[in-house]
Amino acid sequence: MKITILYGTETGNTEMLSEDLESEFGSDHEIEVKNLSDVAPEDLDLTVFHVFLCSSYGDGELPASAKPFAEALGASDTDLSGLRFAIFGLGDSDYETFGHGSEQLADMLVKHKAEQVGPRLIHDAQGGDLAEDLAFPWFEERVAEVEALSDAA
Amino acid sequence: MPHKIAILGAGPSGCYLAQSLLKLDDALEVDIIDRLPVPYGLVRYGVAPDHQGTKGVARQFARLFERQGVTFIGNLDVCTGDHGGEITLAELRELYDVVVLATGLPTDQKLGIEGEELEGVIGSGALTRAWNDHPDSHDLPPAKTGKTVTVIGNGNVAMDIVRILSKGEGEFEGSDFGTHHAERIAAAGIERIEVIGRSPAHMAKFDPVMVKEIGKSARLRFEIADLQLSAGAEADNTRLQALATLAGIAPDDARCTVSFRFGWSPVRLVGAGGKLTSAHFTRADGSEALDLPSDTVITAIGFCDDARLGRADLVAGATDIDSGRLAPGLYAAGWFRRGPRGTIPENRADSQAVAAAIVEDLASLAASDKPGRAALQARFDRLTDYAAWQRIDEHERATVSEGRVRSKLRSRRDMLALALNETETPS
Repeated sequence: MKITILYGTETGNTEMLSEDLESEFGSDHEIEVKNLSDVAPEDLDLTVFHVFLCSSYGDGELPASAKPFAEALGASDTDLSGLRFAIFGLGDSDYETFGHGSEQLADMLVKHKAEQVGPRLIHDAQGGDLAEDLAFPWFEERVAEVEALSDAA
Repeated sequence: MPHKIAILGAGPSGCYLAQSLLKLDDALEVDIIDRLPVPYGLVRYGVAPDHQGTKGVARQFARLFERQGVTFIGNLDVCTGDHGGEITLAELRELYDVVVLATGLPTDQKLGIEGEELEGVIGSGALTRAWNDHPDSHDLPPAKTGKTVTVIGNGNVAMDIVRILSKGEGEFEGSDFGTHHAERIAAAGIERIEVIGRSPAHMAKFDPVMVKEIGKSARLRFEIADLQLSAGAEADNTRLQALATLAGIAPDDARCTVSFRFGWSPVRLVGAGGKLTSAHFTRADGSEALDLPSDTVITAIGFCDDARLGRADLVAGATDIDSGRLAPGLYAAGWFRRGPRGTIPENRADSQAVAAAIVEDLASLAASDKPGRAALQARFDRLTDYAAWQRIDEHERATVSEGRVRSKLRSRRDMLALALNETETPS
């Protein structure tokens, strides 16, 4: 399946997870990885399944590389009808704004009529799990869901 | 032969630089050299021990050594001129096509006022190195405080210090804060912490989230003064909002009061018998004075150079300091380049820009005939490598105290014993 992974990163941890997903699943799927800072909302290909990876920074803000995309989306009336997306967050439960970055991004995408597939999972930097150990099975489940949806259509 | 690059300093700026260089050209031969036997610099020795999430960037850096072919060369002291060291910067430049200085700024900025030499006055760098079990702190007397502590400075380093001093002994779960440090802080029985800086509250340097975090510790009472100086600030000022979340916290069983004051400049530290007794402040316009009785003053007003690499001359004579170019084949990144400003992500962006400048310059450089690390390995027999760090890392995780994630080796001797497989085993 054709999949676009878009990441919003501040320290590079989310970028690394994107690369890990590409290495893990790149032989089974046609995966393109892009930094959100290099993407404009109106350029999204609505026929391709998009996987967003997004951290939080500071006081529950979006990470630096996601901000221009979010600002552009917020300021526009871009219609994302037909776009199926899944979203994975990275956060730190030391802060009460845990996972707010990915939440903001998910809400904006839905508000612009994109369709969220499956739950938003958030990796906790305080927890014992590695981000990829959570993200890999989550990614497989989301891809399976999208494949099932496509087959049904 | 690929070009050979030595990055001095295995902290976040040096590691991000290596990462960015390899993204631009994965054929480069990149070595990261550190004075300490272990990598990661401020991630290990500067980021607060109770901010383990922030230390998570070390996983990216581990990839450099584990998968991307970067070599770690530890326990090598590079210096300039009369500072001792094992090899001079000039000698190192002969061995590599490119040398990048990413050693940061380690020295505490002085207040420059009377009384700074009194017993009881501690710099934030010296204190946080001690709390983080930096091996250079190993032989120093233990960092201890009195019951009344004044922290001068309003940045995130000051907030880290206030948070750690004001936490209860049981509030370091999941950190790598040594139990010996937590016990010492608890034993001091700190009753009052004054946090005082020059800026008015709405312009203070702290990140709001750092202030809010202090409010989460149990049994603290907060006092916020001098907000009249921020009367003209906008209603949605996030610093004022963060301080407002603290202002209402005043439990009956408070064990310590944390007081925030703004708009005060330190003028004099006063002592008796060589020991600090109080800190004196004034308004910028001299209209008011303030005396704070203090057993301990911690200065957290920034960092400066230790002159070991001749930074002042290098920066003054730089080809283009904005892009990190100091001289042909010599570059600077991170705090060494830009001064003591900015968090880990800001220095990541800085390293990406410097890496782009280096790769651009390398395009017009002939293929390498430099010996690189082979010359260092032939000359020095006590260098440490990444495998040595992995042995130390494993040991530190295996010998951990209850409620902690790591128990750091505290001396060079113990680190080197493990790192170099020497017979003496660490205690």
